[in-house]
Amino acid sequence: MTQLKITPKRISFFIPALILILVFVVYPIIATIILSFNINPIPGVNIVERSPGFENYIKIATDKRFINPKGIETHSFPMGAIIHNVIWIAIHLPLTLIVGILFAVYLQYVRGGSIIRSFIFLGMVIPMIVGGLLILFSFDKDLGVVNLLLKLFGLGFLARTWTIYPDTALFSLILGSVWLWSGFSVTMYSAGLSSLPREVIEAAIVDGADFKTILFKVIIPMLKPVTLTVVAMTILWDLKIFDVVYAATQGGPGGASMVLALLMYEYFARLGDYAMSATVATVLTIIIIPVVIFWIRSVIRGEREV
Amino acid sequence: MAKGVRMENIWKIFMPKVIALKNINVDIRPGEFFVILGPSGSGKTTLLRIIAGLEIPTRGRVVIGDQVVVDADKGVFVEPRDRNIGMVFQNWALYPHMTAYDNIAFPLRIKKLPREEIDKRVREVAEALGIAELLDRKPAHMSGGQQQRVAVARALVKQPDVLLLDEPFSNLDARIRVTAREFVKEIQKKLGITTILVTHDQADAFAVGDRVMVLRNGEMQQLGVPEELYGEPANVFIANFIGDPPMNIYKLSIDHPMVKQLGVLEEINEDYKEVYIGIRPDEAVALPLNEEGHLTGTVTIVEYVGSRRYAKLDLGNSISMRTLLECRADHGDKVRIRVYKLHIFAPDGKRIRTLTLVH
Amino acid sequence: MKKLFKYRRTGLIGSPYKILVLNIVAWVIGVLWITPFIGIFMTSIKPFREVVLHGWWTISPFTFTLKNYVDALFNPMFSLSRGILNSFIIAIPSTVIPVTVAALTAYGFARFSLPIKKYLFATILFLMAVPQQMTIIPIFFLSKNLSLLNTYLGLILVHSSWGIPWITFFLRNYFSLLPVELEEAARVDGATDFQVFRKVVLPLAIPGIISASVLQFAWVWNDFFFALMLIFDPDKMVVTQMLPRLKGQYQVDWGLLSSGSVIAMLAPLLVYAFFNKYYMSGFRGWAMKR
Repeated sequence: MTQLKITPKRISFFIPALILILVFVVYPIIATIILSFNINPIPGVNIVERSPGFENYIKIATDKRFINPKGIETHSFPMGAIIHNVIWIAIHLPLTLIVGILFAVYLQYVRGGSIIRSFIFLGMVIPMIVGGLLILFSFDKDLGVVNLLLKLFGLGFLARTWTIYPDTALFSLILGSVWLWSGFSVTMYSAGLSSLPREVIEAAIVDGADFKTILFKVIIPMLKPVTLTVVAMTILWDLKIFDVVYAATQGGPGGASMVLALLMYEYFARLGDYAMSATVATVLTIIIIPVVIFWIRSVIRGEREV
Repeated sequence: MAKGVRMENIWKIFMPKVIALKNINVDIRPGEFFVILGPSGSGKTTLLRIIAGLEIPTRGRVVIGDQVVVDADKGVFVEPRDRNIGMVFQNWALYPHMTAYDNIAFPLRIKKLPREEIDKRVREVAEALGIAELLDRKPAHMSGGQQQRVAVARALVKQPDVLLLDEPFSNLDARIRVTAREFVKEIQKKLGITTILVTHDQADAFAVGDRVMVLRNGEMQQLGVPEELYGEPANVFIANFIGDPPMNIYKLSIDHPMVKQLGVLEEINEDYKEVYIGIRPDEAVALPLNEEGHLTGTVTIVEYVGSRRYAKLDLGNSISMRTLLECRADHGDKVRIRVYKLHIFAPDGKRIRTLTLVH
Repeated sequence: MKKLFKYRRTGLIGSPYKILVLNIVAWVIGVLWITPFIGIFMTSIKPFREVVLHGWWTISPFTFTLKNYVDALFNPMFSLSRGILNSFIIAIPSTVIPVTVAALTAYGFARFSLPIKKYLFATILFLMAVPQQMTIIPIFFLSKNLSLLNTYLGLILVHSSWGIPWITFFLRNYFSLLPVELEEAARVDGATDFQVFRKVVLPLAIPGIISASVLQFAWVWNDFFFALMLIFDPDKMVVTQMLPRLKGQYQVDWGLLSSGSVIAMLAPLLVYAFFNKYYMSGFRGWAMKR
């Protein structure tokens, strides 16, 4: 496609966006990085306790709420926010992919499959704060669906309010987040499936492949671009998770479900240590960067193919 | 190895109310190259998909060899994978994430054949189809003609009883198309495999088909060898559909002067008020006025098709006709028209007879 | 049996009975999936005492009441009716501003040749992925210094800026798929760039604009973190922000919380229901980059 030459007048198309983004996004990002090194770039913020340098990063590395060696050793919670985030990804990501692809394929063959798909999507529509409350509700000893199902299968003795015990709080939230976030992967995979050429699957049928072979040898490999997107977005979502935890457990009990984003907020709001807060935010962003780069590259590659 | 395919009373109705196929009965002989020809929406692809088992007929049954593969009334249905058919799809449907080798090997791997056997057969078929040097490439890095050969190889590698081809040439450009046709025909004759090809292109059909069936709106119009379809079209639709340039067809009342000039009346036994008269441009010539002929006309356009010249003629009474031009003539010149062959159809479109006129 | 046979799809899934079973299983899962929603809704329309004693799932006893809704909407501390109003006051401008601003930028991206476009594009993608936490501290103090803290305007500006990258990205894709011939025709007829944009591109892009608006609105409405950090005054709090405060310190009051949840998710659910087509295409555009 022909591109129009850029002229000063045409640059004005970019100006309003540029101003807003520079002031409210780019400047804050840079200021946060600077702040994390104890240097005070923002009028009104006073940091006097520590000298400029990596001190905050050393301090955070030894903070039990960030990483708790004792908990890791004894396999008990809390293990520290960063470990919790990693556990979150380790459980959530595979489940999201499996649920996504299985439901997307399965629901194609179900009457009213699109209705069920929109049921599953509801988790993506509601505020995540409500999502967190719904998780809390679902794991409640007396009211929750989870315990109701346990009782139905004769496992009533297991029933308890899962979110208030250190050993189950994090897992409850993770399972709940699978429930909330599956709408994303199911929708992505369904869209991907409907754009696959029908003939290719039919060719496999004629070639004698059974359902399993078609799924693993034809459908899943052809959906690889979708999988890459889902993987990247899910990891990002898991790392940034905040509302759900805030609404359901506030990181409790005793930090057993603390996550990075919430730790950042704790430093800011409860302890008023802005520099430490900025440090946690920066660490969070640094962890995210490889995923973002991977994702940006896949998007740009996709652009070129179009 | 080659098996026949028999279709009995095949109906296909798409809910709620689209009749895609109406009572199709065909017996395809073992080793035959059979072509299903029809315009888009004629139901030809549906019929092919029914044979493949990708679609289930609403009524009727299909027999491959002596095995009933589907019987809608008795509820018999054999899965496509158990029919031992090979199929080439319109856009070739190659697996984009696999190399040519893996594409061709796919049906064999599913059968869990031993590695060496797979390798041997893939290389054999690739050799036979002249794609041995393409085996490491992915479909995105092949030309249309190459992709088509890989698709044919994938269909043939499992040594199917029947080969199904769904518009295999329509995505190729004109030049490659001719070679692709020859190639498919050669392979088919060499292997002696029963082959069913679906196309909307009569040139494809006549180039490869032993017999051709013409479908229209789900109904069979005519079935025969190419010469029959061309020489003795069963009805006005076929007459119009087949032949290029198309046949001149006129609906004339029985007392029209042209009917008399051509001597049609003597040939019709029944009492029709009107008849269709068809004259192929290749079966009539425009000659100088001093020659003998049936009709006269004025040249309006002279056109060249390949090495032949056609004239578009005005015969008066707003009748125009395209014929071969075999004299020096230009726009406005009067010419004599000699007709060699005449196709007469009843008012309902059915063929009455084909006349060869002699002088 | 015969009927099932005819309706079955070929190839992938086996016998008619299996299909029947698969259908039933799918629907059971589907209903189970939304049980938390059903539960929270049932709890919200029953007296909480009855829920505690008998569970929300009982049909008898079943006493219908709107008390929980009245309590939530007119709560003396955190009145959700006020919260809803505040959410609208925040979300509407936070949709209109960034969509307008980003549409201009997106058009520039789609049509103008810029030497550094590749880098700008990558930057936009990066900004789409940055955590809110990375920006909030400086924004907090910036707002404080500009007296924008604890004001609607401050939060609106933050949301607007935050929405620009993804909307730019989304609309750029949309614009670049529009037929360029119409724009060229307008240019030949003497229209300026801005006229081309206003008179030709925008009208053609209305579905895309609606998709972006619907998604941005839902996003802002659902957001919690920015509001939590920038608004303190209970009279100015948005509904998502009030909701966790209804939880109670020691005992969770599900009566209040359930009706509050229903109230808070109503707007995005309605938007999703009424603009489904746009919502989904915006959603796919947000994630799929096509």
